[in-house]
Amino acid sequence: MAKTKAAYKVPILTGEIKIPKVVSGISAYEKMYQGEKDDMVALGFPASLEEGWEIKAVGIFKQLLSHNKALRDYMDICVRCGACTDKCQFFLGTGDSNNMPVGRAELMRKVYRYYFTPAGSLFKGLADAEPFSEEMLKKWFTYYYQCSECRRCSYYCPYGIDTAVITMAAREIMDGIGLGQKYSTVIIHKVFNTGNNIGIPQAALRNTLDDLEEEINEETGKDVKIPMDVEGAEVLLVPPSADFFAMPHMESLKGYAKVFYKAGVSWTVSSYASEAANFGMFIGSYRNTKELNKRIWDEARRLKVKRVVVGECGHAWRAMYNYSNTMNGPFDFLDNKYRQPTHICDFTLGLIKDGVIKVDPSANDDKIITYHDSCNIARGSRIGEIPGGQFTIPRELIKACANNFYELRNGTNKAETYCCGAGGGILTDEVMNVRIAGSMAKMQTIKEVMDNKGVNFLALICAICKTQFAKMYQLYGFDAEMVGGIHQLVSSAIIL
Amino acid sequence: MFDLNFISGVYVFLTYLAGVIFILGVALRIVVYARTPMPVKIPLTPAPLTPMGATGRVASEVLLFKSLYRANKPTWVAGYIFHISFFLLILLHFARHFVYHHPLPSWYQLFVNVGIICGILMVLSLFYLLLRRMIVDRVRIISLFSDYLILIILMMIAVAGLSLNFFISASALTKIDNRLDPFITDIAAFHPINIPSNPYFLVHYSLTLLLIAYIPFSKVMHFVGIFFSPTRYMTDNPQEERYYKPDAEDLSL
Ligand code: SF4
Ligand code: SF4
Ligand code: SF4
Repeated sequence: MAKTKAAYKVPILTGEIKIPKVVSGISAYEKMYQGEKDDMVALGFPASLEEGWEIKAVGIFKQLLSHNKALRDYMDICVRCGACTDKCQFFLGTGDSNNMPVGRAELMRKVYRYYFTPAGSLFKGLADAEPFSEEMLKKWFTYYYQCSECRRCSYYCPYGIDTAVITMAAREIMDGIGLGQKYSTVIIHKVFNTGNNIGIPQAALRNTLDDLEEEINEETGKDVKIPMDVEGAEVLLVPPSADFFAMPHMESLKGYAKVFYKAGVSWTVSSYASEAANFGMFIGSYRNTKELNKRIWDEARRLKVKRVVVGECGHAWRAMYNYSNTMNGPFDFLDNKYRQPTHICDFTLGLIKDGVIKVDPSANDDKIITYHDSCNIARGSRIGEIPGGQFTIPRELIKACANNFYELRNGTNKAETYCCGAGGGILTDEVMNVRIAGSMAKMQTIKEVMDNKGVNFLALICAICKTQFAKMYQLYGFDAEMVGGIHQLVSSAIIL
Repeated sequence: MFDLNFISGVYVFLTYLAGVIFILGVALRIVVYARTPMPVKIPLTPAPLTPMGATGRVASEVLLFKSLYRANKPTWVAGYIFHISFFLLILLHFARHFVYHHPLPSWYQLFVNVGIICGILMVLSLFYLLLRRMIVDRVRIISLFSDYLILIILMMIAVAGLSLNFFISASALTKIDNRLDPFITDIAAFHPINIPSNPYFLVHYSLTLLLIAYIPFSKVMHFVGIFFSPTRYMTDNPQEERYYKPDAEDLSL
């Protein structure tokens, strides 16, 4: 149920990021809705929380400890140095000590010490060990869903402790005892049923694409097609499904279509694999992540394409880039000339550099642009051949397509980027205040370039970022149309 | 058996006990960390593409605390001074075995002075870290009893060590020095002899044994764990080389 706008607590933007006063429990008032029976069962989890969940949870925890080196290591080695405490956008926005990365992780470590360390089982309170009580489970359900798995904390931790790993494990444990999160489980279930997060069936998807083709035709007079389920196409394009119907995402889809049209590369989207996003990753479930990922490679096989290109989406790229080969590889049935998968920005920039497509940057002269590094791409996955390609390629592409570009403040972009505040499966209305708080850090830096450079366009390559910033812009009092994908810029600049 | 007085008997037993706990504890932890599989690749930017690069990266964390430097400069300074002085002191204590021979080398006093400076730096940096823990509210709220405990043990060890140089007479110190070397040599050869009985020395020695035995159960294990942190040691090459760990399947990412 959406709250009225009056219930939202929107901070005033000054362009500065201040470290708030620490208060434990201050953001506990917002919680996720619990996963529902059908969805939970479809994902292979118990339908709901049952008697004896504590023992079961400890059992799953134990299994995870022996199957996940990162979790195993990160449970022990935190020295509580505090280096990460002021690095999480959710702490900066809420001031809740449980949203400091180490505070979040300690919620799990308390339980870990109680069941799995000698000190914890002997000295309990003195060793800060706590049994897995209902109280504790409540805290887990609250704070492990106020983390966007952005890994900013890990960048600064002297041991690289990755709170996203801990959050994922916590979610996996909770799912395993039947306490799921509605938003993510509904979405994963939809992909299993229809092929995409939104639940658009095949015919409806074709209709949407027809409308888009018509729109492009009206705007450009060109006969740009968006082929679907075409066997033997060269490229299978997998965008996040938001690109099919949400704004400003659709503008990017038009951009991709124009690039393929002009380059003369045959391509197709698929109705079976119409989703690049992988919410299995958000809930930390290997099995579900693999299942979702598999759809794409199965479809690549069935359609006999030569390569797979992924649209603008943050965590989707991380899942595709990092996990595909592990989970569903190897991809020797595809053309090994290409990186499998290829990022759409890499693909388009390559065509521009090779002179296959031409762009006119002055077409975007009405825009003064800045760029937000999506955290899952920035810290989790490379684009292209060289290290740091995830930073250079999108920027080169923007600069090729537009003349006015300004960076956000140093220390808040590239590997140090703040998250948009809604990644990791929290892009849902019931935690809108958490989203607002989480976006605050980034919004401050955006406000800074708006004031100093007159920036009026925020370029993105992540579907969640687009939805989140479009919403946040409205709430913070800006025009939502000042947000869009890089391929929206390509779409205006490309000479057809 | 051995011809030991009662105190020495107790200390010899505790020394071996601490040694066994430390060695087994650390070895067990290394085995557990090394054998636990990592299901997927999770290197964190700036991730090197090659194993060489990844080794260099881990080295930069171990030797320079690079990430901490990025995160918090004052903590880095204090943390770095503490670790370096502590590490040098450990080295010096071992080196002493080769240095302390009669006649003493001409630079022996210099050798001792370096140790004293390290000891003072260690106490000061620990004191800063302790104050920070108590004063900065973000750090205070996450601090556990054990976080204070380890700081206090280390400080007491350092202060007791320094006291040997400042609170007792030169002749008393020489007496300890002369008896310490054979004690260590013989205990290492499993032929224990009597321990130097100076109370200042015994305090320093007891606390050190306590620390050694406590390490495997404490956060000090980060000195092992840092080598097994996937975000740092992994290479960024999932496309070039298939990473597959069958025994890690079907669980958490
Ligand atoms: S920076 Fe790392 S070691 Fe320090 S408190 Fe945070 S998680 Fe723990
Ligand atoms: S992963 Fe991101 S959101 Fe989660 S604790 Fe770390 S910094 Fe905060
Ligand atoms: S939505 Fe964007 S910024 Fe936020 S978590 Fe995803 S990639 Fe990160």
